[in-house]
Amino acid sequence: MTSAHSQPTNPVISQSSVQDTPDGRIPVGRTMPDEQPMLSVRNLKKVYHTDGGDIEAVRNLTFDLPKGQLACLVGPSGSGKTTLLKCISGLMAPSAGEVTLHGQKVTGPPKSMAVVFQEYGRSLFPWLRVAENVELPLKNQGMEKSARKEAVEQALEAVGLAHVPKSYPWQLSGGMQQRVAIARAVAYQPEVLLMDEPFAAVDAQTRADLEDLVRGIWKKLGVSVLFVTHDIDESVYLGERVIILSSSPTIIQEDVLVDLPAERDQLETRSSQRFAELRHHVYEQIQLAKKGFRPEDAAAMR
Amino acid sequence: MTYIRSFLNIVALPLILLFIWFLATLGEASFFVPTPQLLVETFINTWTADRFVGDVFPSLGRLIAGIALSILIGIVGGLLIGSFRWLRALLEPTLEFFRAIPPTVLIPVLMLLIGIGDEMKVSVIVLGAVWPILLNTIEGVRSMDEVLADTSRTYGMTKINSIRYLILPSAMPQIMAGIRQSLSIALILMVISEMFASTEGLGFAIVQFQRSFAIPEMWSGIVLLGLIGVVLSFIFQLAERWILGWYHGLREIEQSA
Repeated sequence: MTSAHSQPTNPVISQSSVQDTPDGRIPVGRTMPDEQPMLSVRNLKKVYHTDGGDIEAVRNLTFDLPKGQLACLVGPSGSGKTTLLKCISGLMAPSAGEVTLHGQKVTGPPKSMAVVFQEYGRSLFPWLRVAENVELPLKNQGMEKSARKEAVEQALEAVGLAHVPKSYPWQLSGGMQQRVAIARAVAYQPEVLLMDEPFAAVDAQTRADLEDLVRGIWKKLGVSVLFVTHDIDESVYLGERVIILSSSPTIIQEDVLVDLPAERDQLETRSSQRFAELRHHVYEQIQLAKKGFRPEDAAAMR
Repeated sequence: MTYIRSFLNIVALPLILLFIWFLATLGEASFFVPTPQLLVETFINTWTADRFVGDVFPSLGRLIAGIALSILIGIVGGLLIGSFRWLRALLEPTLEFFRAIPPTVLIPVLMLLIGIGDEMKVSVIVLGAVWPILLNTIEGVRSMDEVLADTSRTYGMTKINSIRYLILPSAMPQIMAGIRQSLSIALILMVISEMFASTEGLGFAIVQFQRSFAIPEMWSGIVLLGLIGVVLSFIFQLAERWILGWYHGLREIEQSA
């Protein structure tokens, strides 16, 4: 069932990662018919209507995110990753298909979801101090003051920023600002955490730290994480699963399970044989996607 | 050192101007232009406690009322018009029309409609001073950062909290710029509104001096107006530094980067 392209070059990854839809044309990601998934995306489609005509950003996406999983969405640039994330987070209505959270259709931003955006400088309130930024969503929920204070302290502690609660976000470095945004999401105690290329704008060393931070928080909180990135290494290092998107109009190219050990280490993991194999595979798929290879064509040819 | 330097920067030009004025009035004193010494003398004699109670305080009261009302109407109206596209489409052409009418030509009409009391004068001030605040607030609300708005939505911010923690602070730099413009408009309109059918006020006093050929007294009133303008702008700067501290800090960092 796996596309013929990946078979010869990558015998290691033999599991079927792409299932076919009933019509046998559009491949879909892993779905879970039996147990109730946390988050479920079904035949999601998004078309932008512009003066220059319609632009089909996302064609058809189907996958599930089980409770407590950390999945990475990776795709070539311009593959509609942000569009997809906006649809999932309820910021944007899909043109067709639906997103459900606990079986409930998402029509607006759900309560139990938090989003960390790429543009940390524009997602933190510049007129609020660090602690106030973290506190605001809790205040908005009507949480009591003492409980709020504790939650804010814990969240800042968890991201290693307990020492700067009184600073303004713009007084901090980029990496620290993104930590504030993560702390805000953590304090909110979401069931699903969406991250839209959160580390794309920070330097490489900070990035490695932040990746480990996200892994740590994910394990500690048992939250489901959907992590969008264009960085292949990052997706393999972070995820338990990598969902590869095709180029636009987007469909799922492949849905790869990452069978790396749960304890990951920037040095050990990244230099392991298995990491290299997975990275190789994902890289190859992205290259195919860039060249315009579409799994539905391959499926139709069979 | 820096304090002395900035103090010198502030007083240098006024001192030079005073000196030129002193030299120019040294020989023959024109009846219409008093010497600096005479003006200082007149100022002290003219603006006594009685005059302050009778003319200056009523004027300042109307000025403050006019500014406060302009800020209130401008911000509330701007938030509403800026938030709803249909309201903007409905109101904007009409607002342009009303904005184009100089408030001074409305004084005779307002006198007929609501009399010659404080209400008329405050109305004139508001009719002129509300526009910069209103239009800047609309613009400020519209230029909201999309990512920030999305962030607030994902955290399910209530309407009230959105206005308080997102929309208002985000529009505040533009609102303050509008208020700054409004202050000088308000001062001008305060004086003008008191020149018609008045019995007290700074504007009235100055016109009165002029008509009775009390020229140094007239000039002293003009100086007082200038001083009020300076104090207003000083208070505004203090308020701005307090309200927009975050904005100036952010700008500084962006510019140095």
